[in-house]
Amino acid sequence: MKHRNYSVAAVGANSVGSGTKLLISLVYDPYGMSTAHLIAVGSSPLGKTDLPGRDLFSTALAEAFEGLPDPAEVVDGLYVGAQSERYENQIMQGTLMAEWAGLRNVPAERVEACAAAGALALKNAVRDVRAGVHDAVLACGVEKMTAGGTEGATNALGAAFERALEQRSGITAPATYALLARRYLHETDATERDLGRIAVKNHRNAVDNPRAMFQQAVDIDTVMDAPGVAPPLKLYDCAPVTDGAAAVVVANDEVAADLQSRPDTVRVAGVGSAANNLAVAERDLTFVEGANVAASTAYEDAGVGAADIDVAEVHDAFTVCEALLAEAAEFAPKGRGIETVEDPEDRSAGWTDVRINTSGGLKARGHPIGATGLLQAVEAYEQLTGRAGKRQVADADTALLINEGGVADAHTVATVLTAND
Amino acid sequence: MTDTDSTTTGPLGPEDITADSPFTLPGFFDALAEGRLMAARCTECDTHLLPPRPACYGCGSRAVTLSEQPRTGEVISYTSVNRPPSAFDHLAPITVAVVELDSSARLTGRVAAPLEDVAIGDRVELRVCDPETVDIDPDFDLSYEEEWPIHVFELL
Repeated sequence: MKHRNYSVAAVGANSVGSGTKLLISLVYDPYGMSTAHLIAVGSSPLGKTDLPGRDLFSTALAEAFEGLPDPAEVVDGLYVGAQSERYENQIMQGTLMAEWAGLRNVPAERVEACAAAGALALKNAVRDVRAGVHDAVLACGVEKMTAGGTEGATNALGAAFERALEQRSGITAPATYALLARRYLHETDATERDLGRIAVKNHRNAVDNPRAMFQQAVDIDTVMDAPGVAPPLKLYDCAPVTDGAAAVVVANDEVAADLQSRPDTVRVAGVGSAANNLAVAERDLTFVEGANVAASTAYEDAGVGAADIDVAEVHDAFTVCEALLAEAAEFAPKGRGIETVEDPEDRSAGWTDVRINTSGGLKARGHPIGATGLLQAVEAYEQLTGRAGKRQVADADTALLINEGGVADAHTVATVLTAND
Repeated sequence: MTDTDSTTTGPLGPEDITADSPFTLPGFFDALAEGRLMAARCTECDTHLLPPRPACYGCGSRAVTLSEQPRTGEVISYTSVNRPPSAFDHLAPITVAVVELDSSARLTGRVAAPLEDVAIGDRVELRVCDPETVDIDPDFDLSYEEEWPIHVFELL
C-alpha cells in the first residue's frame, strides 16, 4: 500500500570490475500522485523562554492541532529540523517529538542542514505526501538556543562552517556573512545604511506580528549607532539567538478534504533545494547561486515565475542575506536587492512588486535555527489564508519561502505555496 | 605519495587516499607544516580546490591533480571577528579575510593586522604557524588536529 505509486520500470545487470550490480529502476507512477497541502500550523513563543525544546514543541503542536483529531489519527510520519544537539545534549529528536505528539512506531527523523533544517523537514514531508508514502506528515522544528548562553550559541553555530581552514581561523556566523556584506558593498552602490534599513523594515513589520520576538520598531540611527559585531555588520544586522519551535501538518488531498474544520488550506505548489559549497572562500560572494537554483527549481515545479510571487519569506539571518536573496529569487536586478525596503512603486525597473518578510523576518520575528523554515511557512499560511491581520497583503495568493543553512546558500530549500481557492 | 610533484590524476583509487597524501587533511597539513600549500587542480576546468579533494565542485570531474600553490595573493573580502568562539576569546578582535592566491585558489584565514589597516585588493602573503605559537585554547583541537599548523596572512 505504501509503495503503490511505484513500479519497476527496468531491470538489468551490469558487470563492473569483479562485481556485478543488479540495476533496478523505479519510476514514479503519476496516477498515484497527490498534491501536498498545509492544513494546520503552529508556533511556540519566540525569544528567551523558560521552556526546554520538547516543551516548546508541545506548544507549537497544541496550536497546530487545535480543533483537529489527535496527531496519531492524522499523521503517520514526522520530520523534525534541529540544528544542534549541543544546546540540550539531545539527539534522537525524531523519536522524542513523535513521542510527545503521541505517535508510536512511525517513521520519525531529525534532519539537519544548520538553519535550513526546518524547510528540509517540510520538503521531506511534502515529498512523502506527494509520492503517496504517507497520507499526512508532521513537519516540525525546534531549537533551544539560549541553553548555553551567547557563548554556547556561538560555538554551536560555528560547527556549520568548514572546519579545517575556516573554523580554525576563528570564524563565526556574523563574520562569514560580513565577508559577503563587505564584498557586496564593494561591488554595488549599496551602503551600510542601506543594509541597516532592511533591519528597520523588518522590525516595523514585526510590530503587527503577535508571534514575533521583537514587536517593536527601531529607527535607522539606533541601527547605525549599534556596536559592530563583524564589520560592516552591526548588532541590528544580525538575527537574534532565539528559543522556539514550529509545527506544520502536511496532508494529501483526501486528508485535507476530510478535515473540514480547516477548509482554508494552502497548497504546496513547488519545492527546490540545492547544496552549494561549505567554505565561504570558495563562493561567489555576491551571487548566492545555490539559492538561485533552489528558487528556480521551485518556480519550475510550481509552474510560476518570480513575478507571480506576492509575498516572500526569505532568510534574513543577516541583513545582507535579504538583499542577496531578493536577487537570487529574481525579484530584483543584480545589485539592487537593497530596495526590498521600498514600496513596490518606488523600486527600480526590473523589481517585482513582492512584499518580503512581512513577518518581521528572522531579524525581528526571531531565528530559532531548526524552526525558522517552518516559521516562514506559518507566515505564508497566514498570508495566503487571509489571517495575517494588520500584516495582510491584499490578494496574496502565491508565496515563496527561502530557508538557508551554513554560510548563505551552503544549503538552500525554496518552497512555493499557493492559496487553495 | 608524499611528493607535491606527484603526477597522480584522479579519479583517485582507494590506495591514493592515505594520511600521507595531500588529498587528505593529514597529508595536506603535513605538507603545510613543511611550507608547501597544496590544492587540487581540476584538469578539466582548471578550478583550484583548497584543501584538495577528490572531485571538482566546478564541473563534477574527478580528474583532479595536486598543485603546489603560490603563497601570495590579494584580499577579496575581510572583516573582524569581534565576538569569536570561546577558544579564540583572548585573541579578539580577529581580522579575517578571504584571499585569492595568485593561482586563483581561494581560502579564508586570519590577517596579522588590525581591521582598519586592511582593504580589498591588498596584497598578502601566507605564513604558516606552529599551533603552539598561535595560542588557541588546546581544547579546541580534535585529537587528530593537534599538530596541524595554523595559517595567517601578512600584509605586504
